[in-house]
Amino acid sequence: MPLESATRAVRTGLIAFAFLSYLILIGIPGRIGGPALPVLALIAALFFWLILRRESIGQFRQVSGVGQDSSEGKPGWEIGPQAGANGSRVRELLPSRFGTPLVLKGLVSGVTTGLLVAIVSGIFATAMGNGVAIQPVLDKIVPLNIAALIGVSPGQIAQSDVSFIRFLVQVLLFAGAGILAALVAAAGRNEPAQNALTGRLSAHLSGPTIRSGGRFAGIALPFVLLVYIAWLGLPGVTAFGTNEGTVRLLLTLIATGSGLFALRLCRPGREKLVVAVLLGLGVVTMPFILDQFQNSVMGLVFIFVMMGLGLNIVVGYAGLLDLGYVAFFAIGAYTYAFLSAPFSSPYISSLLILLGISPESPLLGYWMALPVAMLTAAVGGVLLGIPVLRLRGDYLAIVTLGFGEIIRLFMLNLGELTNGPRGILEISQPALFGLTPVDVTFGLLSSQGWIFLLALVSSALVAFIANRLNGSRLGRAWFAMQEDEDVAEATGVHLVRTKLLAFAIGATFAGMAGQLYAARQINIFPENFSLFVSIDALALIIVGGIGSPAGIVLGALALKGLPEVLRGVDEYRIVTFAALLVIMMIVRPDGILPSPRRRIQLADPEEAVGDSDQETGEALADGDGGKEEDQ
Amino acid sequence: MTALLSIQHVTKVFGGLTAVDNVDLEIAERSITSLIGPNGAGKTTLFNCLTGLHRPEVGEILFNGSSLIGLRPDEITERGVARTYQNIRLFGRMTALENVLVGQHLRLQSSHWSAVLRTSRQQEEERAAREFGRELLDFVGLRGREEVVSTNLPYGDQRLLEVARALGSRPLLLLLDEPAAGMNPSETERMMDLVHRLRDEKGVTVFLIEHDMKVVMSISESVAVLDYGEKIAEGTPEEVRANERVIEAYLGPEVAVEEAAGNAVD
Amino acid sequence: MTSSPVKAQAAGTDGRAAMKQFTRALGAAIVILVVWRVTTVGLAEGYPASFWISQALNGLVLGGVYALVALGYTLVYGILFMINFAHGEVMMIGGITGFFALQFAQARGWMEGPWPVVVVALLLIMFIGMAASVLIGVTLERLAYRPLRQAPRLVPLISAIGASLFLQYSVLLIFGVSPHSYRKPALISGGLRLGDVFIPYTGAIIFVISILLMLALYFIIQRTKLGRAMRAVAEDRSTASLMGVDVNAVIVVTFMLGSALAGAAGVMLGFHNTVVKFNSGFIPGLKAFTAAVLGGIGNIPGAMFGALILGLIEAIGPSALGIPTEYKDVIAFTLLVLILIFRPTGLFGEVLSEKRA
Repeated sequence: MPLESATRAVRTGLIAFAFLSYLILIGIPGRIGGPALPVLALIAALFFWLILRRESIGQFRQVSGVGQDSSEGKPGWEIGPQAGANGSRVRELLPSRFGTPLVLKGLVSGVTTGLLVAIVSGIFATAMGNGVAIQPVLDKIVPLNIAALIGVSPGQIAQSDVSFIRFLVQVLLFAGAGILAALVAAAGRNEPAQNALTGRLSAHLSGPTIRSGGRFAGIALPFVLLVYIAWLGLPGVTAFGTNEGTVRLLLTLIATGSGLFALRLCRPGREKLVVAVLLGLGVVTMPFILDQFQNSVMGLVFIFVMMGLGLNIVVGYAGLLDLGYVAFFAIGAYTYAFLSAPFSSPYISSLLILLGISPESPLLGYWMALPVAMLTAAVGGVLLGIPVLRLRGDYLAIVTLGFGEIIRLFMLNLGELTNGPRGILEISQPALFGLTPVDVTFGLLSSQGWIFLLALVSSALVAFIANRLNGSRLGRAWFAMQEDEDVAEATGVHLVRTKLLAFAIGATFAGMAGQLYAARQINIFPENFSLFVSIDALALIIVGGIGSPAGIVLGALALKGLPEVLRGVDEYRIVTFAALLVIMMIVRPDGILPSPRRRIQLADPEEAVGDSDQETGEALADGDGGKEEDQ
Repeated sequence: MTALLSIQHVTKVFGGLTAVDNVDLEIAERSITSLIGPNGAGKTTLFNCLTGLHRPEVGEILFNGSSLIGLRPDEITERGVARTYQNIRLFGRMTALENVLVGQHLRLQSSHWSAVLRTSRQQEEERAAREFGRELLDFVGLRGREEVVSTNLPYGDQRLLEVARALGSRPLLLLLDEPAAGMNPSETERMMDLVHRLRDEKGVTVFLIEHDMKVVMSISESVAVLDYGEKIAEGTPEEVRANERVIEAYLGPEVAVEEAAGNAVD
Repeated sequence: MTSSPVKAQAAGTDGRAAMKQFTRALGAAIVILVVWRVTTVGLAEGYPASFWISQALNGLVLGGVYALVALGYTLVYGILFMINFAHGEVMMIGGITGFFALQFAQARGWMEGPWPVVVVALLLIMFIGMAASVLIGVTLERLAYRPLRQAPRLVPLISAIGASLFLQYSVLLIFGVSPHSYRKPALISGGLRLGDVFIPYTGAIIFVISILLMLALYFIIQRTKLGRAMRAVAEDRSTASLMGVDVNAVIVVTFMLGSALAGAAGVMLGFHNTVVKFNSGFIPGLKAFTAAVLGGIGNIPGAMFGALILGLIEAIGPSALGIPTEYKDVIAFTLLVLILIFRPTGLFGEVLSEKRA
């Protein structure tokens, strides 16, 4: 084995180990428990596969004549498309003119990783066995974690009763991972180099090759799921014998998400309309069949859909990166809280007494407060928008972030007005003609179900308005401004008005979302309105696909819904998002379900050229996006 | 003929450099006027002053009798001045038709509420705008390219699309910044034909910057020459061609003398 | 013309006269308000002169630390035209690592030893912090920024936000939520009393070290071959590469220098604030960014002076304006907003603004 290949393989192993040790340090093995070691080995295998695949494709090119200097393989061994796939695969596994065989590379990488994992876990285990307390320094290095990594019980660690064989198993497992990765990489060599998975997926979703049966199944899936979810709600029915609450929630998330895909599968026209209406009906029944917890999660998801749709106007349509979006969410929430909670600041109370109104009873109901909250948020949007009108993209981001923090600091410190960190409690619930919806529906609709229903309807409304605006001359002006501000102005777009409209409309939707959030939470505190609300809203539109309402729903389902299902991994939520954000930017800057028309928002215009043509079909298939949101 | 645009003593200074120096110029209604001059003579700066991108330190710009000084670019467009750019600046990710629709932005009246509600008036206006957009694309010779994303258009077509976008605002005066730059002879021919048709069929006054002397001489009714920000000559193409200072500016003083001598012999 | 979707230029065109007048009026109103507050409330409190002097000295110390971090922002911005949003976290990593190094040293009793031992140990602690920051900074560049070098501006910014959160919450998961407190060795825990003014040793040391590090950086950039390469890349990346400058290497070195300074700042801030935790880099990072913008981003001396000015304002501001010190962050952010509105190129000019592609 030549030295160069060897060092590269060892380096691969080292990088894999670095990644695994990160997972160990943040306590993943302890979280997984028993199957921790195989899971980690699989993760390593995935990594090896990625590296080996890239290397083998490089080699492939070299051998087939494209290469420049092939130090090991002699050029001329043609692998044309006619060369038997099996034959070449077999030969690649053997030492050959190809250079070092993949299997050997995988093995070296795997053994490197395995040895390091074994050594490190051995050191930790020994130290713990000798009573050294590591945990005060490294929070997650607890016997549970290390034990899971070695595959023994925590008790055995404490008594340093770990046999040598355990560490050998670790090494072997990772070596196996390396070999597995090499085999898969060799087998996949005839696949087209780029993006085999996503390419195939999108072909399935929009290509003409799809079988009508598959299409039908895709459209039927959300309905099947909905029926199953309803059935799970019946007394005595369990799903896989486990906690059906969480399973049901997961299924609800999947059903909603698959509904979006189903709509994309529909032919435009009547078929799409029918499916959209049916889906809409199905989703509207959900608040009635889900339980309190599931409803509260879905409510949060759709509150964030509203946030995402609003932020999308600012970021996706007008191209203004706003990181202080939480400010308007907070304004909406606090406005409603002031109007409907028993706590009123001395300022407001004295004002009310002055006006001859008793400060004891809520001032306004939910519906009366709605325009007030929206208007206040819109005014906030304009006021915060004016100073930043002239700022360039990244400055704008930082300044708006500063604004968000200022608002939070004010909420925290203006105790007389906001009750400071103690928050505002007992915010009244949205009523229906003076009655609670629970009464009206004879208990069919829980209080959280009611919030979910409101969130659904409001999101649909917001999506509808956003969509209509985007299709109008205002939407064109936003897009033009995003493309080239100076030219847009010279073409006749009033920049100040257009930008402020984007800020104001975005803020209005955030205000609506904030009010509903306050009603959902009942008690609100300044910590509810940290920077992470902005980051979450931004992350969900980026992950889902900037500019695409369907993508935003999907983003919210994935980023706000899934963590609730995976309750145990909630502490890993932010690191996962954060890593996802970086990876998304590198791999797919336009999101999972990109907007057909504007998918290239964040991508290079150069790439856009190629994309736009193949997207036209999808754009047509998408038809009227407004209906998509009715569900 | 009355003057549609009247530029009086316009001066623009960048740092220590006087880019446009005390320029006076009148542009008659329904005329085709060219602005020529060596590179860096201040031609585009003058255009930028006209469209509100720069504010001249000194001088007055009267359009249709009222001043353009201090107006925002969009306000100037509203008054009826539209332009194209030397280095094409289309809205790259929009289709050709959408580009022209943005051009019509300030001629559309319907409120944003009516867009949400899709009132019949708003729908009617949108339909008419699309119709007019298609007409304009047809006019510049881009029929059938309505739905092509503008960066995918060939270079010559992009220049034509810029003209169509500018026409969207229904201008009285169209400023073309090097419309034939980088075009091959047949494309140039098309562009020259378009300039004529703009004036003859649309009644638009055209004021253009151009380097290609063949184009300038064959389409302009009058020509103004800038050098180091100063206007050094003005007149019909023939007059300008014979002007000594112009030859000097283009070819340098020594050659100019010889050229002038040669011209005299002719 | 750039292809970036957000090309909106800060320097408003002449046509936006109304906006200009509005901002001018706003500026005048703010100045009047500040002057009124200072004269009627701040000065009316009747603090002694020594109080103001110690506050100012405190501000200079803080400013020195901010300057080190601000230099990292400015260096990276000068070369890549991107805001390294995660730079505050790079600093925090330096602080956390410094804390463990200090613990290690204390456990071995080095901190109670004779003064040369303590000094050497302290320097060593700082170097370890710097090394950790450099490691993280370079990794960050390699993984989160380099693949995006050709992408439109927003893409690396979002990636940087992701990286910032990732670093913060990884530290939270690995080292826990609770703050780690620096225990100062006896040697540097006292202070100097000059009349009514008390100068803590740590403050003086931090200020001196900051100045020395800044001078070192200035020397590297102005006098060495490496510095020349850096300036060349900042000027024009593609031309520099044609002239034989290894652009990748220069960018890596830039991140190394910026991160090293941030690491030093992290350790010193640990001694100054006595605690470090997962999010203790975030706010100082924003402040340092403010300082960099204040001085004109891309402008190295500008960042130093901007940071000192910011430190002073932050230290004196709350008392002068007669508002609670909880609002000192509000003052800094408000200042950031105001600078960007009134003077987007900073007090000392944005050196590279012309070339910003």
